[in-house]
Order: sequence, then structure tokens, then C-alpha cells
Amino acid sequence: MRRVGLSLALVALLACSLVLSVRFGSVDLGTAEVLAALTGRAPDWLRSIVIELRLPRALLGALVGGGLAVAGATFQALLRNPLAEPYILGISGGASVGAVLMLATGAAGAALWALPLAAFLGALFAIALVFGVATASGRGMDVRVLLLAGVVVGAFFSACIALILSVSEARTIQSAVLWIMGSLANARWGSVIVAALYTLPATVVLIGLARPLNLMAIGEETAQYLGTDVERVKRVALGVAALITAAGVAVAGVIGFVGLVVPHAIRLLVGSDHRVLLPLSFLAGAAFLALADLVAKLALAPTEIPIGVVTAFVGVPLFLVLLRRSLTA
Amino acid sequence: MPVPRGTAALLSAAVLIAAACEPGREPAELTPAETDRTMLDADRNAVRVVPPARRIVSLVPSATLTLAALGARDLLVARTDFDTAAWIGDLPSVGGGLQPSIEAIVAVRPDLVIHFGGSQDLQTPRRLAELGIRHASVRPDRVEDILAMVRFLGGVTAEPEAADSLVLHIESELEAVQRASLGAPDVQVAYVLGGDPPWVAGPGTYIHQLIELAGGSNVFSDLERRYSAVSPEEFYRRRIDLILLSRGTAFDERMAGGARIVHVSPALELPGPSVAASARELARILGRIP
Repeated sequence: MRRVGLSLALVALLACSLVLSVRFGSVDLGTAEVLAALTGRAPDWLRSIVIELRLPRALLGALVGGGLAVAGATFQALLRNPLAEPYILGISGGASVGAVLMLATGAAGAALWALPLAAFLGALFAIALVFGVATASGRGMDVRVLLLAGVVVGAFFSACIALILSVSEARTIQSAVLWIMGSLANARWGSVIVAALYTLPATVVLIGLARPLNLMAIGEETAQYLGTDVERVKRVALGVAALITAAGVAVAGVIGFVGLVVPHAIRLLVGSDHRVLLPLSFLAGAAFLALADLVAKLALAPTEIPIGVVTAFVGVPLFLVLLRRSLTA
Repeated sequence: MPVPRGTAALLSAAVLIAAACEPGREPAELTPAETDRTMLDADRNAVRVVPPARRIVSLVPSATLTLAALGARDLLVARTDFDTAAWIGDLPSVGGGLQPSIEAIVAVRPDLVIHFGGSQDLQTPRRLAELGIRHASVRPDRVEDILAMVRFLGGVTAEPEAADSLVLHIESELEAVQRASLGAPDVQVAYVLGGDPPWVAGPGTYIHQLIELAGGSNVFSDLERRYSAVSPEEFYRRRIDLILLSRGTAFDERMAGGARIVHVSPALELPGPSVAASARELARILGRIP
């Protein structure tokens, strides 16, 4: 019953957050003006603000936030590590190297898709590298090796970024830092479609793996005895979660805390059953990032603060309150 | 010491040719395209100049000052957070000059947005193009870029005479500074913008050009980039007579050795219509003019 109630509450919260994201922005518009823009009865400039800027931004925030939360929950289950989060396998580092390289060489200006594509390819390279190391023994994927490889590869990519920036123009450093901080300000309908194509089917796949993930949370051997193809589940789940993360980083940069805090918060509320945890994490992550973006837009409007700052400022106290409640319960 | 007009012209040409030979991109030419209805901006994109811009958002402080110098400040309909002068402070802000709030720009319904050229903010011009808003880039790295920016802004606001007049004024001022500096003993100058390790002005910058114009030599003219962080060891290794330090900048004075340190106004780092005044200030610091 509690799960149903929480599900309904999260659906309502997500709907509210999307409405608020479209309703409010750095420009003070009235509800009637927003409605007029949505129904095509507003002047072009107003339609541009609502249809071309706010609406795709709200949807992209929901998709990226939902995706990061589901990926985080999956990594935490498979790696059996509470500190696991979507960027733990060096994915953000790989994506950042791809993006920074494009900026430093001037290739980012060649086409609209050049920078997100380079970020995505960088993320895929990181995934391939880490998975390659983790499966090098030929005896299946060792999650401890995977975790270690992820941390080491992430550190290596950080060094690569520092090297590239140290020999770059000040302007490149400026634009790279802005990209790495993450933002939804550049949301377009195209990026919404890309994020949706990756995130939604991938989330369905992960929810489909919820039962084996539950068994593997007990232990890989137990899951194996109970008929789970452990290696296959690990490869599919980690691969899909990594792809969601790569797509999210490509369209919105590196946005921290969502993939770490949201799954933990939901787990504290409803337990560790992945059949519930994964869909609720998606809803909560989607609502959380959409609301965080609203704060990023409005706090110092028209200047935007990095969304990662908001996710940390809101997510950490919220998480600590939930943690305290669970410990005293 | 007065210099014949022909000599001054030759010297000016030499400075411009030397600047053109410096590392970096090709010399900027914001020249009219085939038709008189477009001009090329700093990124070499054709920008319509008809109808003239009447509602302008400038994301580049030096372009904002240039528009004011051209008598076009009434055409500005918004400002950035960094435009704090009283005459512009009442306009709505669109945020920073890089990655501004696009919806704040759309809301003031501009017919021209001036933004930074190059790769430092690729998203803003793309979004503006997608939304059908006329936009143009400026990139005032060098003196000739500043002059090109003045002509370009004069062109898009239908104030070419005012632009020509301003360009002429700047050129004649720079020539005067150059004449005053001819034959003076060489002074090795380092311009420090701040930072730790310190960031210095290298070749391909208007600061470098102004130093050379005022009869100094930029100690860091051999760097590969316009602005670079350099090792503190370089301050000990190189012969430096004068360190120009942006006012309010922290600097470890042990690195100065025997060099004189002079704090200069941050206005010197605005590559706009005040470039002539900046050249005069440098010439005064170097003792070329009283």
C-alpha cells in the first residue's frame, strides 16, 4: 500500500515539476501567456520561449535525471557498493576527454552534434576499456576488478583533461569548465529525442532484470543456484546502465549526485526490491532533476548556476534527513 | 620628436604587417561582402545589415562600449551582468556574456545579438540561429580586430560615418604614440593579468601590440598562445624591466627581481574604443610622453 502511495506521489511530483519548469523561467511570464504559447495563440517570441526553450529543457531534465537514477540503482546493486554511482566506471571522465578534445582542437564548431558525439564516443571508450579489464581473466566479469578499473581509468582521464587544458587557450578552458559542470540550458528537441531513445528502452530493459538483480543482491552464487545466468545479467545490466549514463553525459554534461542520492533515498523509503526500486528511482530522479533545474534557472536569474551545485545542495541534506530517519526508526 | 607623415604611415603599416605575421588565426577582415547588404563578422559569417539593427543585445562588453562610442547606446535593449555602468544599469540583464539566458534574450525581442566569436561559446549563436534571431560575432583580439569591430558595428547600425570617424581617431592616436616612442631605449615589459602561476599576455594580443607601439618589448612575445600561464621561473630567467600588473591582482613580488612594478587600470584589458587611451597610458608609464 505504501509503495502504491509513494508511486502515485512521485508521478504527481514529476507532473508538477514538469509544469513548473514550463511555467517558470528567467523571463517572468504569466500562466495565460504560457497557455497561449502552448496552444499556438501567442506571438512568435513567446512561443519560442515556451515551445523551443522551456518544454524541451523540462523533458530533457526528466529523462536525464530518471536515467541517472536508474543507472545508479543498477550500479549499486551489481557492484554491491553503496558509493557506486553512474560515473564510477570512468564514464564521465571518458566523455569529458572527448568533449574537451573537441573544444581544444576547435572541432566542436564543425557541427551541432560534434561535441555530444565526441562525448558519447569518449564514454563508450571508457566503458570498453573498463569492461575489457574486468573480463580479461576469461572467467567472467569480476565486479571488484570492474570497480577498481573504473576508478583508475577515471583518474587517468582526469589527468588527460588536465593535460589538454594546461596547453589550451584561456577561452578553451572557460568553455570546457562550463561543459564539465553540466547544464540543461542547451536542451533542444533533438537532444530530447536522443535521450528518450536511449533512456526509455534501457530503463524498460533494466526493470525487466529486476528479479535477477534481487537475487544477485543476495550473492552471485545464490543467484546462480536459483537459475540466474549471472554473467549475462551482469553484462547486460552494466552495459545498459553505462549506455544510459553515456547518453545523459553527452546531452547534458556531468551532473552529479542524482545517481547516488536518489536510489538510496528510494531504497530507504521502500526497501531494496528492484521491481519497485528501479521504476520509483526513475520517477524520483526525473522529478528531482527537473526541480533542481528550476532552481538553477531561477535562483540568480537570469544568470544560471550550475545544476550540479543545486543537486548537491538539495540532495545531500535531503539524503541525510532520510538516513537519520531510517536509523532512528 | 615630430616624424614625417609618410614615415608614420610606413611605421603603422609595419606594425600591422608584423601583427599579421604573428602566430594565430588569419587577420580579421570584417569587410563588406559582394553586396552592400551583408558584412562578414569575426567568424566570417555573412550578417545582414539591412534593415539596420534597432534593438541590440550585446554580450561582449567591448562591443557594448563601442556601440556607446558610436552614439548607438539607445539601441541597446539588454545588458549582461558585467555591464555595470550607470548608463546601461537600468536595462534588463540576460546573464553572463558566455552562455547567457536565451529566453531572457528572446524576451527583449532583439533584432541583433552581438556575441563572442570563436569556440568559447558555440551554443549561443546556434540557439539564436535556430530561433531566427540575427546575430553576429566579434573577437577583438588585436588592434586591427578592434578597428574591424568598430566598422562592423557602424555598418549594422547604419552609422558608417561615425565608425570611420572613430577608427580615424584611434589610428591617429596610435600613430601619435608610436611617433613619440621612436628611437627611445628598449624596455622589456611583462603584462600580468593575474593567476598563480601568473597569466601573461603573449603575441597576437592587442596588449602585446600596444606595448610594442609604445616602444617596449613584450618579454613573452615568444609564447605560442595569446594568453598563457607561465612558470614563475620564467620571471627569474628573463630580463624584465617593467611588470604591468592589472590592478587588484595578487602577485608574488619576489618574482619581479629588479623590475619595476606598475599597477594599471583594468580598463586597459577592455579591447574597445578606449584602446587609444590605453596606448597613451602605456606610453606614459614607459616615459615616452609626459
